Amino acid sequence: MADEPPNPLQRVLPGGIVPEDEVVRTEQRWLIIMLGMLAVMMAVIVVTSLTHALHPPSNVELINSVTLHLKGEFVESNLGTALEPDGSATVRLIAQQYSFVPECVNVPADTPVKFRLTSPDVIHGFILGDTNVNTMVVPGFVSEVRTSFTTPGEYTMPCHEFCGVGHQGMWARVTVVPREQFPKLTVVERTSCVPQ
Amino acid sequence: MPAPVEEPISAHIEGPHRSAAHLPEHVAAPIGAATAAEALKDGPRGALLIAAMAVGLLFIGWLAFYFLLFLPRGSVG
Repeated sequence: MADEPPNPLQRVLPGGIVPEDEVVRTEQRWLIIMLGMLAVMMAVIVVTSLTHALHPPSNVELINSVTLHLKGEFVESNLGTALEPDGSATVRLIAQQYSFVPECVNVPADTPVKFRLTSPDVIHGFILGDTNVNTMVVPGFVSEVRTSFTTPGEYTMPCHEFCGVGHQGMWARVTVVPREQFPKLTVVERTSCVPQ
Repeated sequence: MPAPVEEPISAHIEGPHRSAAHLPEHVAAPIGAATAAEALKDGPRGALLIAAMAVGLLFIGWLAFYFLLFLPRGSVG
């Protein structure tokens, strides 16, 4: 190797090829472009968050997961969709190994919907396909997500937090129906003496 | 009749591997410092163009995801 002729392509060019002021000007321009892009992205996020009321679900509410099935908001007879006096809907669900209870809920379209979930056992995940609804369900806490659906149809609701050997079978559905059809779907109330 | 035994590829290689750029006649002629200075007197515009295209595509992609995918999926809170 030592007797090979030197490769002219490896010749080291002398420094200072690009004028110093040109280097500084180029870096300043690039910095301005980057800051401009960051400003646009931040402005888009802030403005749309304010106009669309977007923010991460951050409800912090404790609940006793030991007595969940015995009394309170999450007893079996109180699960599912309930219409509130203000016209909105509240959906109460329990995520447990390895199912959501109830397995399918109806909600009206174009209506504010509030999902309230909790878990009696381990951490589960709550996500609705084709929407931005996404939160974790942690035992001992009540997770709350507010949204509204504009498109009627069926939305899949898989658990997306590994919760055990049956995790892959933990699916449920949310069926969004036109607002005027929703009252017709209201089930006949069950009688129950479980304290709520 | 036994099957012919193919010679391994390594049997045809003489000396260490060299890329096509090893031979000066296969690549562009090297430029001198004066030519390089002339080409770069206004800054590395070619590199800037490529960088701007890459970052611009990334920015357009971010905006497209945000406005065409994220926002239509509805608000949450």
